[in-house]
Amino acid sequence: MNSLRAARAATRVRPSAIISSLQRRSYADAVSDKIKLSLALPHQSIYTSKDVVQVNIPAESGDMGVLANHVPSIEQLKPGLVEVIEESGGSKQFFLSGGFAIVQPGSQLSINAVEGYPLEDFNPDAVRSQISEAQKIAGGSGSEQDIAEAKIELEVLESLQASLK
Amino acid sequence: MAFAWRASGLTYNRYLAVAARVVRRSLKEGPRLQAERRGEMELRFAKWENGKQGENKSLAQENASSMAEHASEGQK
Repeated sequence: MNSLRAARAATRVRPSAIISSLQRRSYADAVSDKIKLSLALPHQSIYTSKDVVQVNIPAESGDMGVLANHVPSIEQLKPGLVEVIEESGGSKQFFLSGGFAIVQPGSQLSINAVEGYPLEDFNPDAVRSQISEAQKIAGGSGSEQDIAEAKIELEVLESLQASLK
Repeated sequence: MAFAWRASGLTYNRYLAVAARVVRRSLKEGPRLQAERRGEMELRFAKWENGKQGENKSLAQENASSMAEHASEGQK
């Protein structure tokens, strides 16, 4: 009998709870469709907690787009293109050499990499000549480590060449 | 995730350094000259034993030989 009364009381409380939560919705909640991006290299911060709309990252587990309120996660990045869609609607593209992206609670995204440059800073001829050089080493008779390093270079260069097209 | 370079004894740190080096070399002349200076590393170290300094060694060379030693046991 007591529990029945408690249950009835609970159902009676609920509508007002919904209303109060609706009333608590403030302006700040309503505009939180942006994600705060920090893109940091050891020698430079490209973005420092800047509001952006979307960030596309080349994670080892697959390419992904990160929007506001994304599930917190840690992703290892492949050498590849990061695309930032800014508030103004324009987008910027950076080629990163590999690192980590950390999606934190509260729509914060931190990306760390060793090297990162806008696409227009790359020289397609230098990429092409390095590919043929790395292919020679990868198929040659150097040490196991030299061959492994040449294969890493090829992975980076091929991703860079695909991004430059 | 299995990485081929792990089997050759390379560390993740080395993987990142190689990837960064090749990105720097792919830049246009202007930014490249500035960036390539960042890739240089000439650290040397010596082990001290019984109050005496041992042989002065290059860190890069020692790292490379240690990676060669650990080849094919990295992936377990």
